[in-house]
Amino acid sequence: MAPFDTGRTGVETGKPAQGGPPALPLVPAARRRLVPGTAVQGVAAALLAVLVLFALIGPLAWPDHAVQDLSRFLEAPSLAEPLGRDHLGRSVVARLAHATQLSLMMAIACVGTALLVGTTGALIAAWRGGSIETALNGLSEAFIALPALLVILIFSALANGDLWTLYAGLALSQWVEYFRMVRARSALVLAGPAVEAAGLLRLGPVHVMRRHLWPDLRPLLTTMATFGIGSSILALSTLGFVGIGVRPPTPELGLMITEAFPYYHEAPWMSLAPVLVLSTILIGLLSLRSKEARQ
Amino acid sequence: MNASTTTRRAIAAPAARVLRQRAVQAVGLVLLVSTACFAIVQSLPGDIAYRIAAGRYGYDQVTAASADTVRAELGLDRPAWQQLLDWLGDLVSLDLGTSLVTGADVAGELGLYFSSSLQLAAAALVLALAVGATGGALAAARPGGALDRITTFWVSGARALPPFLLGLVLILVFSVHLGVLPAAGHGEASNFVLPAATLAVGLSGLFARVTRDAVAQIRQSEYVRFAATKGLGGRLVFLRHVLRNTGVTLIAYVGVQTLILIEGVVVVESLFAWPGLGHALVHAIFWRDIPMIQATAVALALLVVVLNTVVDLGSLAIDPRPRRREVVL
Amino acid sequence: MSMRLNHLVVSHADSTLVDVGTLDFERGRPVTIVGESGSGKSLLAHAIMGTLPANLTARGSLAMDGQTFDLSDRANRRGLWGRLMSLLPQEPTLALDPTMRAQEQVAEGATSFTTDSSGARRTAGTLLAALGLGHASRAFPHTLSGGMAQRVAFAAATIGGAPVLIADEPSKGLDERARTELAGLLKLHLDGGGILLTITHDLDLARELGGDVLVMKDAHVVEQGCARQVLTEPAHPYTRRLLEAEPANWNHAWARRGAPPEEGGTALVSGEGLSKAFGGQQLFSDLSVTIRAGERVSLGGPSGSGKTTLGNVLLRLLPPDAGYVHHAVALRGGRLQKLYQDPALAFPARVALRDPFGDVIRRHRLEPARLEELMASLGLTPALLNRRPGQVSGGELQRLAIIRAMLLEPALVFADEPTSRLDLITQELTVACLMDQVDRHGCALVLVTHDYALANAVAGRRIPLGVAVTERLVQGAGTPV
Repeated sequence: MAPFDTGRTGVETGKPAQGGPPALPLVPAARRRLVPGTAVQGVAAALLAVLVLFALIGPLAWPDHAVQDLSRFLEAPSLAEPLGRDHLGRSVVARLAHATQLSLMMAIACVGTALLVGTTGALIAAWRGGSIETALNGLSEAFIALPALLVILIFSALANGDLWTLYAGLALSQWVEYFRMVRARSALVLAGPAVEAAGLLRLGPVHVMRRHLWPDLRPLLTTMATFGIGSSILALSTLGFVGIGVRPPTPELGLMITEAFPYYHEAPWMSLAPVLVLSTILIGLLSLRSKEARQ
Repeated sequence: MNASTTTRRAIAAPAARVLRQRAVQAVGLVLLVSTACFAIVQSLPGDIAYRIAAGRYGYDQVTAASADTVRAELGLDRPAWQQLLDWLGDLVSLDLGTSLVTGADVAGELGLYFSSSLQLAAAALVLALAVGATGGALAAARPGGALDRITTFWVSGARALPPFLLGLVLILVFSVHLGVLPAAGHGEASNFVLPAATLAVGLSGLFARVTRDAVAQIRQSEYVRFAATKGLGGRLVFLRHVLRNTGVTLIAYVGVQTLILIEGVVVVESLFAWPGLGHALVHAIFWRDIPMIQATAVALALLVVVLNTVVDLGSLAIDPRPRRREVVL
Repeated sequence: MSMRLNHLVVSHADSTLVDVGTLDFERGRPVTIVGESGSGKSLLAHAIMGTLPANLTARGSLAMDGQTFDLSDRANRRGLWGRLMSLLPQEPTLALDPTMRAQEQVAEGATSFTTDSSGARRTAGTLLAALGLGHASRAFPHTLSGGMAQRVAFAAATIGGAPVLIADEPSKGLDERARTELAGLLKLHLDGGGILLTITHDLDLARELGGDVLVMKDAHVVEQGCARQVLTEPAHPYTRRLLEAEPANWNHAWARRGAPPEEGGTALVSGEGLSKAFGGQQLFSDLSVTIRAGERVSLGGPSGSGKTTLGNVLLRLLPPDAGYVHHAVALRGGRLQKLYQDPALAFPARVALRDPFGDVIRRHRLEPARLEELMASLGLTPALLNRRPGQVSGGELQRLAIIRAMLLEPALVFADEPTSRLDLITQELTVACLMDQVDRHGCALVLVTHDYALANAVAGRRIPLGVAVTERLVQGAGTPV
């Protein structure tokens, strides 16, 4: 989960643009962007789209990921088997397609749950205050200090690699980031003069939600969710890699990397395929981020 | 009363507050993790006693009698709330029990695990700070220059490579192919290199980026410009103003990254068979060694609190301004 | 020594930002440049100093003591900084390093600092004590008030003994008392035989300093001469316009200078026995205030005196520590409105202005045509509504805020420093728009302002608040000697 620093780092204190006379000529030249923008993002989006397609169609095209054929042990790639066969004679491309689908679906489900739970909790805390706020804040204080991986590990100990415990663990490890970010941002927004003015104008909570909170939260939530999907996929594969994630023989990217490692010399495609998928997802999501930041 | 004693007291009071807050947090974490571990015991599918007995003696050797022994030994036949109170009571009296797998005293082994994890984390942190802060500061000297581009590439590259893959690559290159560094083991200085480097690569990229941005921003600040027009030379301005204020930002950022560091420690320890908390935890989970899971999970949580406390005190020492909690979330 | 600036031109791409002829500076005679923001006056100061932003180019030369410096080379004056020329920064609280004690920041400006740092520290201590800051020499900047930070910055800028001092908008954010102190500091430099160039939009500061005044507009000096003459009998139409825009010189139909407070109107807001403390400081206690329909009241006092807090208590946005506030029925349903110091913060930041205005119209079932009418009468184009608050100038945005408040035909408008971030001329325009509407609807106005002249020009009654305890912060940090 390491390479993604999400809401915990950020939440730049929301200093809105200063009003008053523009001091135009004294402002230093706009900061140069070092990464060339749109081309990189276009490639990233295209790569991600290809992977999503692979995850959607792949399992239909190559449905038999569990069929073993020991006579085809470490078979080299061919037209019929674009990625060859593994140490148990199973189709690597079929396993990869199922693994990609599993990773993406799990990640999206976890991030969706964490976002929904965290944001709802934060808005309730910010709006209602009182004992609900105290309780939720206390809970988030405890969670924020726990490494997410530890939460997932403890959860995965609950059951032996069941998908639902992994899902619950991943979601539980992430909700607090959304809670903290939304809580901090909405406290700033709700305490600001604009919301005070809306109150004096008797504009009501729908207006505050729609014009003040949501436009302020949306870009941050999108960025965090993009990161969160990467973190979830990474966490899932890390668990698989250390042997306490998804139970074999279910194909999973990290598990596939572990299984392929002893054969990296004889059958490099076996290791390279899951590594490439994993890195492409991570790089793709990271490169999309600069687009988010620009909006 | 003179000025210096009052000033010292003014610094000591926030330090006491930091320690108090972190202590409360530590207690809360221990309760949370310990209760979660208890929940694991309660909810494990099948007969827990039978499974534990199987884990201890091997599936072939398990009999109903040995399962009963385990059940009685762990007091698993009493109501859940009594067990939880006992559970927490044992923790308070530092009775961490014995490992269900090895039969060894958990508390005795925990010390070793804790210190080797701390060593690894500290080595990685020092390495990452040295490389990252230097690289970032140099990159900021010439924005858009070659070093700046390299840093940017380093940051995104390191972030796209998960630590376990990076560790694998390092093992392949330095242990298997070049044979210059050991892939596993503990105790010698050379054992530190690969695990610490695996952790440091990603972190140093993040530190480099933060340092670069902080230096660039502080260079533009009013107080740095004023220092220059006061007549201070470029080197003095950097040493007296840029450096310390960058430190304020960087230390706060290190605090944020401790969680990611500890997560990395868990992964890297498993990969390099480093006898630390993470390695022990993963093993314990694999074998359902409940006392060990609880002890290592609690210790890992405490390790985070320890690192954060050090960071808090460090930033208190160089930044006199009152803390604003919302800045460092 | 003397200093002469020859034909300075500062440009950006193909636009000229500063173009002035020859300027002479002598010891002991202050030169003050006044003008609005964007007139190029700050750039002139930075061009002399050699601190222009990298994307601007300068031409011209500077002669000092027989030496001539080419202004297109920004590096050739670096060696003079601190020793021969020094810059007093715009916002002293930002110009002090937050992590360094006051005395240390002053000491490092001494020329002997690298060779004899303890001697430099002693000199710094003496200098701070002479400025009345002996007790604050070990204080960190965040514990200093604006005026104290100004004095520390002055000490740091002058300890190197530079005869040329350039002060760039030094009175920004200071209240009247702190400004008088500042003028005293600057005169101190002159009395020591220094050369002083002050850049300011604050005509009162220019008056207090005396000497020569230059008026800049659109990159050029439009008028220059002795301060007394330029600021009382201006020759150039722009200078006349600038002087007329000072609240003390306003001559509008709605200006009710000296009019007695209206008696007998309905009490809209009545506060009884109000007390409020903030951060250990008692802002006001047992205060009773009544605002009646149609009257114009100003709330005045130096910064930190609790003006805004009292306002928020009267608006019932903040509970008082003691006492109670009663609002009349006439204020219900949004007929109590507020204007903010920074209008950019008073609108939702990330949506086009059309949306919040649309919400007001829909919610209160108003005629959309009324918005267009009001905008036209306040000189605003409808296209402004397609922009976000950050994309509209401060003056225009404040007028939009006035329109938003007036849409609900309020019985009372509460204006919290509504023009303190605006230029003189924009301020006059904005206040005129506000007063025009207030007059038309006959609504009551409470104006919070630290500007006595503005309060005097607008309000019939004044509620003064206590003196700010400027030294409180440092003593709170616990360093009294």
